[in-house]
Amino acid sequence: MEQETGPFSVSIDFDQSHLFFPNIIHWVLVFLALSIVLVHGREIVRHVQGWKESYREHGLDYDRLRLFGTFGLVIAYFLLMNWVGQLFPNTGMGFLLVSMPFMALLSLLYVHDLDRKKFLLILANSVIAPLVAWYVLAQLFYITLP
Amino acid sequence: MEILSNLTPMFFALTAFGVMVGIVFGAIPGMTATMALAVCLPMTYGLDLTNGLALLLGLYVGGISGGLVPAILLNIPGTPSSITTTFDGYPMTQKGQGERALKVGISSSLFGGLFSAVILFLFAPTLADVAIKFSYIEKFLIILFALTVIASLSQRLLVGLFSGALGIWFALIGTYDITDGGNGEYRLLPDFLVNYLDSGFSLLPVLIGMFGLGTILQEAENGVREEAVDSVKFQKGAKFSFSIFKGQFVNLFRSSSIGTFVGMLPGVGGSAASVLSYTQAKNFSREPDKLGTGEPEGVIASESANNGLTGGALIPLLSLGIPGDSTTAVLIGAFTLQGIQLGPLFIGENTVTWDVMMVSLVFANLVMFMVMFFAIRHIAKVVMVPKFLLYPGILMMCVVGAYAINYGVMFDVWTLLIFGVFAWLGQKVGLEIAPFIIGFILGGQAEIYFVKSLESFGTLTIFFTKSPIALFLWGLIAVSVAYSVHHTIRAVKRKNGGNGA
Repeated sequence: MEQETGPFSVSIDFDQSHLFFPNIIHWVLVFLALSIVLVHGREIVRHVQGWKESYREHGLDYDRLRLFGTFGLVIAYFLLMNWVGQLFPNTGMGFLLVSMPFMALLSLLYVHDLDRKKFLLILANSVIAPLVAWYVLAQLFYITLP
Repeated sequence: MEILSNLTPMFFALTAFGVMVGIVFGAIPGMTATMALAVCLPMTYGLDLTNGLALLLGLYVGGISGGLVPAILLNIPGTPSSITTTFDGYPMTQKGQGERALKVGISSSLFGGLFSAVILFLFAPTLADVAIKFSYIEKFLIILFALTVIASLSQRLLVGLFSGALGIWFALIGTYDITDGGNGEYRLLPDFLVNYLDSGFSLLPVLIGMFGLGTILQEAENGVREEAVDSVKFQKGAKFSFSIFKGQFVNLFRSSSIGTFVGMLPGVGGSAASVLSYTQAKNFSREPDKLGTGEPEGVIASESANNGLTGGALIPLLSLGIPGDSTTAVLIGAFTLQGIQLGPLFIGENTVTWDVMMVSLVFANLVMFMVMFFAIRHIAKVVMVPKFLLYPGILMMCVVGAYAINYGVMFDVWTLLIFGVFAWLGQKVGLEIAPFIIGFILGGQAEIYFVKSLESFGTLTIFFTKSPIALFLWGLIAVSVAYSVHHTIRAVKRKNGGNGA
């Protein structure tokens, strides 16, 4: 095929064609980032200063226990689910056995003013929900579960 | 009439069953119409073609419609295409108009669904002829147009564009696939991740992670307080009446048309339809600033468009054999199971099947409306469940959805965590989630169409000179960009004027 010539002509080397579009996107990202700094620069500086000030006065205001608890439980959930799943392959047992304690612990982490009724609700929920999900999905519909 | 012999009670029962299961799937955040179809596909082994189709079309319509329930009540889109429903639906719930918002959404869904079914029936062959003439150049321009829509969706134009470009960047991670005409090389990928990411991040785990886990992390940081749920006055909220649609027929009609048309374009389907129609509703609205604060107008635009998609996406599927989105891609699988080859010859050679499909599609929409409209209180009970019970359940279902979508890939589950953290931290520095997602969904196709066009023609000017359709699309892009720039400037001026006064 004859190659176009002119100021807008482009030829793409096939061996490097996987980098052609990503490079364009990199330039677009750089251009947009610079534009944001130019246009919103002052706003950003003001925002950061305001944040620093509130940090000096109040410190970081967030629920440490619930946030890091969530991270810890989620990571443990994913790791254990896979590990237990490999002990009983293709049964969805990894999902079923690990989901129950995970749901119970996460609920206990999130609940405020725990009382007997709430505790029983949490227990029931964390046993029934994974059981139903596992039965319907893995047993009735043959969906792959860990 | 041969068709009547196919319309058995079983046929209607399966459609209705499909709709109900679909609604439940759509309503559970992290489960989608695609999942519902994939899950129930094995059930069609035991059914004949018409009954199998009845079940699948019911699931499709129900799954797309069910997404509005969590979008409105929980601010989590149940399906990707209900992203824009959250913009106005959730603020309405916060104002105590949850039931009203749901019923507006359901009625709009019915209109969009029936509208697109009529279009599908009347214009399938003609419209497919238009779409089949689109070359890579027009397809790229369509995507570019969809991406400019990002601009008018964002709070800050530049940040929105940046987020969109970042979404495209993430979509490019992995192999430049040989089946797409690439050279099979990796890019944007460190060596130790090649085994996990050779085909990039999967769309669904990314979506579920950002919207499911991201939301839960945000809540955990704030201490998972229950007040928000208690303050939802769903039962005693403002009464719904159809008079709410007064003055909204142009909106309904426009949004359904956009949904149908976008659904029709191969590869562009999905959330692009509702985003586009929401933007247009905003552009044409008398009070554009009110959209996003809990206006029925926004819910109408989003929901009529994403149900308009159902009929639209079936057009290229049935006439060209090209799926408009991942959901219709699963439908192709169902047809193949039944030994039917989709393509230009399908409708002509299978008139009975075609008629049966139409009956099923219309019936599914009616059942969807009846079930959701009169049983919405029961379906919406999910919002009455306290957060400490709901969130662990949502997380569990997110894991199932991510794990099962590619039939058991543990890395997809980790993708949940990666993008959940990304969304949670990103929002702190002002990242716009919706443009990011749109960029991520459309990025891969944008690359293929762009690079292939240049490889074939060797010049950038081809994007302007290829066809009148290309020029028309450039016109649309220009109008879209100009409008959002104009809108931003006006908003800034108003804000400055307000501060000065």
